[in-house]
Amino acid sequence: MRRIRILLADDHKLMRSGLRLLVEQQPELTVVGEANDGREAVSLAKSLKPDAVVMDIGMPNLNGIEAALQITQANPQISVVMLSMHSDESYVLRALKAGAKGYLLKDSAESDLIKAVHAVADGKSFFSPAVSKVLLDDYVRKLKRSGAEDAYDLLTPREREILQLVAEGKSNKDVANLLNLSVYTVETHRSNIMEKLNLRGIPELILFAVRRGIIS
Amino acid sequence: MPPDPAKNVAPPLPRTARLDDSEAERHAKQLRRLLVISFGWLLALLIGAGVDALFSVRRLDVASRRVSSLFAARNHVLGTIVVSVRVYDDQLERYLLQEQLQESAPDPSDVQRKIALVHGVLEGFKREFDPDEQVLIEAMQLQVQDEENVCATVLTWRADLRRQRAYQFIGQQLIPWRTRMFELATQISSLDERKLALENLAVATRFQMLESRLIWLVSLALIAGVLMSLICGWYILRLERQARQRYQALALSRLELEGLSARLVEAQEEERRSISRELHDEVGQSLGALLVEVGQLSKLVPPDDRVTQAQITHIKSVAETAVKSIRDIALLLRPPMLDDLGLIPALEWQAREISRRSDMEVEVHSQNVSEDLGDETKVTVYRIVQEALNNAATHAAAKNAKVTVVQGSDRITIEITDDGHGFDPKRQRGMGILGMEERVRRLGGTLTIESAPGKGATVKAELPLHQADPPLNHP
Repeated sequence: MRRIRILLADDHKLMRSGLRLLVEQQPELTVVGEANDGREAVSLAKSLKPDAVVMDIGMPNLNGIEAALQITQANPQISVVMLSMHSDESYVLRALKAGAKGYLLKDSAESDLIKAVHAVADGKSFFSPAVSKVLLDDYVRKLKRSGAEDAYDLLTPREREILQLVAEGKSNKDVANLLNLSVYTVETHRSNIMEKLNLRGIPELILFAVRRGIIS
Repeated sequence: MPPDPAKNVAPPLPRTARLDDSEAERHAKQLRRLLVISFGWLLALLIGAGVDALFSVRRLDVASRRVSSLFAARNHVLGTIVVSVRVYDDQLERYLLQEQLQESAPDPSDVQRKIALVHGVLEGFKREFDPDEQVLIEAMQLQVQDEENVCATVLTWRADLRRQRAYQFIGQQLIPWRTRMFELATQISSLDERKLALENLAVATRFQMLESRLIWLVSLALIAGVLMSLICGWYILRLERQARQRYQALALSRLELEGLSARLVEAQEEERRSISRELHDEVGQSLGALLVEVGQLSKLVPPDDRVTQAQITHIKSVAETAVKSIRDIALLLRPPMLDDLGLIPALEWQAREISRRSDMEVEVHSQNVSEDLGDETKVTVYRIVQEALNNAATHAAAKNAKVTVVQGSDRITIEITDDGHGFDPKRQRGMGILGMEERVRRLGGTLTIESAPGKGATVKAELPLHQADPPLNHP
């Protein structure tokens, strides 16, 4: 079995060495490079073509979000896992918009990093459970205070199914195949979902899915 | 938000300025007193001159009136004398020529009465004349006396004697008497006229004196007035100059003060940023690494070693708590969101953060806000929103707040509205509001706060965008 090649990007050597230690304990994972800042991460990703980049958000020269954007735009097949201290949705959404597939809190890096790398290497999304919890709490609190109804309840079972698959990173064609539907039908469902949930773009859809615990 | 030291600074006035002030005050007082005294003198001078002129004119008027009335009275007296002499002459003549004229002759006693009348008139008016004139009057009196004596004889003449001597008497006695009488009267009259002329001259001289005195006084007053006007003008100019200087000094010191507080705000922001960075980067990251290491350690220790595992779990939880509190402190000091995400996501983060901590729900709306705002502008907007939301949540117990950020071509407008119980912005100006004002003024913007008790509050700030801010550096 091919080992998953990982690039670590963090401006703190201490953190990088800790992460490397974690990764190297897994026989199926290998660290191919370490970057000290965002710029280095972008150039190393370009030259090393890793399967996954585990990257801190707060980095000098070029921050992790900008770096993620440049990496995923240049090489869409590289999966980026953001490492962050912040569980706020501003961060999660920005990371998602930058093309990140995973979002890990540093506190839980030790327990979740391996899972996250595996998930994104499989083309799935991964979010620290703590992030999902914060997002859900915010969402529920807002609903409760504004008295609005949870848009998720408006979705039909079929739409919920499609929401999950799309949030997991499946294309319309994959979804159509999985559910035995036409691509056109899937597209219709998808636009209905977006409309009902008042979402703009896949990142917001993923965020919503994470918030509702549909994906993790 | 921790108390801001910049807001408490009110620099004392320089000591020398205060000394100067008291000295200038004393000078001004002296000058004022001098001016009041001078004006008093000037006024007194003018009033004195006026009163003097008034009295002098009246005196002159009285004098000249007296002179002319005296003259008129003497003329009248002289006239009376001359007339009464004429009347008596006439009577006497007619008496003497009664045979030739064939008229009714006057009674001799009547003629004598007429002479006595002349006598009385002379005696009666004698006192009204001056000594030199009295001599002449006395001469008249002597002549009248003579005439009276002669007449007494003449009046006893019988008709034939009268016929014989009348013409001779008239030609040799009566006419020369008459002529002499007229001469005397003319002398008195000319004396009088001379006197009148003299008196008039005296009046004229006095008038001239008054005139020259008046001219002198008026010119003195004029010179004093001009002098005083000059002094006043100079004083006013000096005051104006002083006022201008003071205003300039004030403006300068205010500018300095603003510069100082701006530097304080700047220094504070920089300090916060560096502390935040230190905490977040150094301590936070070390703790993060520690957590990773501890995780590793727990895997190395056999699971059945309960004591060690429990110890490791404890270490982990302590480290996690430390990470959390350091993150909270760092976020409060200088949210890295501003650098990591940009202004609007940072505001959204803050809104949610407040919503999590309080009972207030915050909405953030933005329009056209660009990613490359200057660092100072971003920080200012962020701090204003932070302050306003904190006030709304903690002091006004608001349930909902709305943050609107709109960027125009040359300015960015921030509006924070809440539905809390509001306050009177004219009276309640806490340090927070002062801090907001300071930050806004520093960037040349304006801050308005609209609120009234029970009406919620709206904080509105407008910041110009001059693109002079330094490019943002990642901490």
